[in-house]
Amino acid sequence: MTVGGWQPIAALDDLAPRHVFQASLDGQELAVWRADSGELNAWENRCLHRGVRLSIGFNNGAELLCRYHGWRYATGTAGCTYIPAHPADAPARTITNRTYPIVERYGLVWSGREVDGRPEEVAELGAHTLVLRALPVWAPRSFVLDALVDHRFAPNEGLDVDPAEVEMTCDRRQGSIVLTAAHGGSSSTVVYWVQSLDAHTSVIRPVLAETPDDVIAVLRHHARALRELVDRVERTVPSRSVEPQGPLETPVVVERSAGSGPHIEVRVRRKWWTAPDVAAFELTPLAGVLPTPQPGSHIDLRLPNGLVRQYSLTNGPGESDHYRIGVKLEVDGGGGSTLLHDVVTEGDVLTISGPRNGFPLRRDTEHTVLIAGGIGLTPLLAMAQAIRLDRRGFELHVFVRGEDALAFPDVVESFGADATVHVALSPAQTAGRIADVLVAARASHPGALVYACGPAPMLDVVRATAAAAGWADPAVHFEYFSNHHEIDDSTPFEVALARSGTTLEVPAGTSLLEVLRGAGVALPSSCEKGACGTCAVPVIDGTPDHHDVYLRDAERAANTTMLSCVSRARSDRLVLDL
Amino acid sequence: MSPTVSPGELDERAGVDPVARGLWHPLVAVHDLRRGQQGSAVLLGVRLDYTMAGDGSVSVCRSDDHDDRRPVQIAYEIVWTCLDEPATPLFETPEALETDRRIVHAGTIGVHVSAPRAVENFLDMAHFPYVHTDILGAEPFTEVEEYSVHVDPDTNEVWATDCVFWQPVAATTSTEGQMTDYRYRVPHPYCVVLYKTTPVDPDRFDVIALFCRPIAPDRIEAHMFLALLDADNSDADIRRFQLTIFGQDKPILENQFPKELPLDPRVETPIRADKVAIAYRRWLSDLGITHGVIPAA
Amino acid sequence: MTIELYDYVLSANCYKVRLLLSLLEVDHELRTVDFHPAREHRSEAFRRINPMGHIPVLVDDDVVLRDAHAILVYLAAAHDPTGRWYPTTDARVLGEMGQWVSFAEALMSSASAARLHVNLGYDLDVEAARRDAHALFRVLDDHLWFQEKAGRTWLCSPEHPTIADIAVFPDVVLSEEGGVSRLEYPAIRRWCDRVKAVPGFDVMPGVFGLGMS
Ligand SMILES: N[C@@H](CCC(=O)N[C@@H](CS)C(=O)NCC(=O)O)C(=O)O
Ligand code: FES
Ligand SMILES: [Fe+2]
Repeated sequence: MTVGGWQPIAALDDLAPRHVFQASLDGQELAVWRADSGELNAWENRCLHRGVRLSIGFNNGAELLCRYHGWRYATGTAGCTYIPAHPADAPARTITNRTYPIVERYGLVWSGREVDGRPEEVAELGAHTLVLRALPVWAPRSFVLDALVDHRFAPNEGLDVDPAEVEMTCDRRQGSIVLTAAHGGSSSTVVYWVQSLDAHTSVIRPVLAETPDDVIAVLRHHARALRELVDRVERTVPSRSVEPQGPLETPVVVERSAGSGPHIEVRVRRKWWTAPDVAAFELTPLAGVLPTPQPGSHIDLRLPNGLVRQYSLTNGPGESDHYRIGVKLEVDGGGGSTLLHDVVTEGDVLTISGPRNGFPLRRDTEHTVLIAGGIGLTPLLAMAQAIRLDRRGFELHVFVRGEDALAFPDVVESFGADATVHVALSPAQTAGRIADVLVAARASHPGALVYACGPAPMLDVVRATAAAAGWADPAVHFEYFSNHHEIDDSTPFEVALARSGTTLEVPAGTSLLEVLRGAGVALPSSCEKGACGTCAVPVIDGTPDHHDVYLRDAERAANTTMLSCVSRARSDRLVLDL
Repeated sequence: MSPTVSPGELDERAGVDPVARGLWHPLVAVHDLRRGQQGSAVLLGVRLDYTMAGDGSVSVCRSDDHDDRRPVQIAYEIVWTCLDEPATPLFETPEALETDRRIVHAGTIGVHVSAPRAVENFLDMAHFPYVHTDILGAEPFTEVEEYSVHVDPDTNEVWATDCVFWQPVAATTSTEGQMTDYRYRVPHPYCVVLYKTTPVDPDRFDVIALFCRPIAPDRIEAHMFLALLDADNSDADIRRFQLTIFGQDKPILENQFPKELPLDPRVETPIRADKVAIAYRRWLSDLGITHGVIPAA
Repeated sequence: MTIELYDYVLSANCYKVRLLLSLLEVDHELRTVDFHPAREHRSEAFRRINPMGHIPVLVDDDVVLRDAHAILVYLAAAHDPTGRWYPTTDARVLGEMGQWVSFAEALMSSASAARLHVNLGYDLDVEAARRDAHALFRVLDDHLWFQEKAGRTWLCSPEHPTIADIAVFPDVVLSEEGGVSRLEYPAIRRWCDRVKAVPGFDVMPGVFGLGMS
């Protein structure tokens, strides 16, 4: 089996809008799909959860949804953005599917295992080409390549001539075969690639080096000629089993690290004033791809002067090649926003953290009420775009000081009647308006959820008003933008590493796994939700507070092992055998 | 019906799992037997012949050695047998013996998947809105709430209890959506029983079971057995409902890879909702089952 | 009187009829025939309805019809006021529809036979059935690919789907249950997506819809 090298895996026309194309390359099945933005994706054709083929899933234009439990994976990164069984949880960043290189060239879509650059340049293929009908052959690739050398067809100008009278010339290249048919002064050239589906099956993919007048007639001629070749080849090879075993490799254990590490270098691709006191930034990675944004997630931005500030991502589904943030000028904000407004410019390099999601969007409701105060709009923009893509109901209320104070007005406008901008209201008027909104929504959508982000006094109003209007506490979600950190009320504890003799502090809101990794302990992890057992650590002393669902009861009672991603301590101190 | 096999099924080496060979397995549904007629079926790569004599008694032997008669018992409307000497008795389900219940064998269906994958799917609630849309679940109500899992120390069975899920049409007797309560029980590596709320009687549970005959490591025949508190619906309607449900699961199972269940928890990505599947996989490891699974390294 | 369909939920032939009833929004009642495991279609009582012992059977007032393809013709002719599902004015289109309905018959002894073997243990040469199915799928994929190139969406030349699409679709979309992969037939896969996108499309167990629910 040939491994390595670019191979065509589809024609560009095969990737119809919202279609998921099942492809195979050297025995590895791929789910290939095009986002509405045009972005091409080639992924391992297996959901990370329970191994179901993603090619039977649903392409919503920005994400691929698995048919079995509805897990969603984002275009570009293949990172998981939502796990419906746990609507309140943000999926771990480690849940990212395996992607393959994919490019378009000559009207074909190409992929490969260990490839770089682009598929080979073929001098014969200029601006005018025609992708001919591809045909599968039940024969190994090498057989097919050998047979193609003797293939015959007629030139476009003489499709009816006796094939025996056509003069064929053949040029066998690295990965392709170039055939030219000449007769009576006219000639046509076709480049043939052979894709290996698996060890026994191939697909011949021809491209004609011109665009003929009568396209259909030429397509038919070549399809007929190629069919004869296929029949001939299949008569000469031992017959393949009719029922191929799912051409997939057995998955290997992947111990995923936390992604791209704690710090990511990004460049300011674009900076603009989306409102007089709000600067917007688009950040793109210096290398690799950015971890997948989720609605509600934020990043830490490390400023040139050492300050660290948190900003919510406004990215909608499908926007995975950059992060977009909005920075409001806070005159007494410690200088972070001033620096971003006045000093940082397009082309500058900044350091950020990967996204964290302390404000995940539940999607198990028919209707969502989004209430934004000022720049608190940013996470809600990401949410509204996600809900819109799902075609579920939402209403976005943005409270701003003045007409022109609205950030990202173009995005807000795109929501049409689903968005309402409330301008220049006094605190009392704002409270009244919030009450109206919450009372009306409660009446029309009893199962709705509320997400609010804005200044603390406004959120206090939302909290009190929602309670008065009969909203259940868990239905109302807040993000105070002065404190983006996940609120974890569990107590801090101390952990001693017996072998290395170090003692570490595990603060509230930080997992043992994060602390250990931060101290340089190379711990594998996978689900980061206490379900897979990958991040287990041996406990010598102290009493763990188990929060996993993996350990057997006896193991849990023995207190000799714990899962570092979720479990904490009942005792003040734990001693680990690390 | 003459159960032929596809190429690759008759491979006894693939069936060599001493633990599986010592278990009772479902061979054929009683309603598929005819007096005086012989049939055959493959179990763990071994072809077996079965006969129902004129007096209704059933005998089973290896096709390649008719002197090698295998033990037989009839339970749950199914003929059960064992390739070696049975190491344990067949599990019991007292509800199946209650006289006021409807006992329905809803049919057998071949599936290109391992038995543990089929069992695990049966234990799974999170797929209801997606796979059994508008019957056992409906978007956007997708949450799987925390439930309890234990291995019963006396019977060594895996149990999941306190399971609830919102369902639009929980059963043939349903007239409206409801929060349905479930309990799941795995009494056998390739068999699973569920107990679910019935609209008919708040204090009792309908019993629905899936019993798999492992043909090859990636191929089963599934038997669906029900013991219901449903006096009104016809057998045909109950079967239709059940076949609808199972027919929806089948293409999911057949698109799962690898077909054998990986027991190493790092190969796939479990979540809290998979708590019972996590326990089931670890329980299979503890039992030492190798047929239909990829053992943990 | 409402239309009655004698039906078995996992039958591809019954699905053809249910699908057209759904697309035409025709009210009907299903009479479940316990095909498997009870073999009710072979019972005395059922043979009085269809002496051939097959499902589906459609009863519309005094019209009693067996054979899925005959029923499709009847339903489209009697219950589609637009006439688009079975256009009878153009000889060429009539011929095309007849040709693809015959193709659907050929699928029954190949793709469908392989599925019955896997699902219900029917005794037949499954390798041969699969090989035949692949030969048919190559013809179908060729045809649909050239239809796309000619700007056409469906099996026959009209802009609207016809009963030919309905007759061919079920055994194609269920083929993988019989071990006949469609990996090699991208034009068939796209056509399956297009059928699923027709307003009024209905699924059966084993067939996914286009969206998530
Ligand atoms: N059909 C059962 C369904 C049982 C069944 O066949 N499926 C398994 C696995 S998908 C299950 O868990 N069903 C849940 C359920 O039935 O409610 C019912 O009638 O209520
Ligand atoms: S297998 Fe894909 S979501 Fe569960
Ligand atoms: Fe299911």
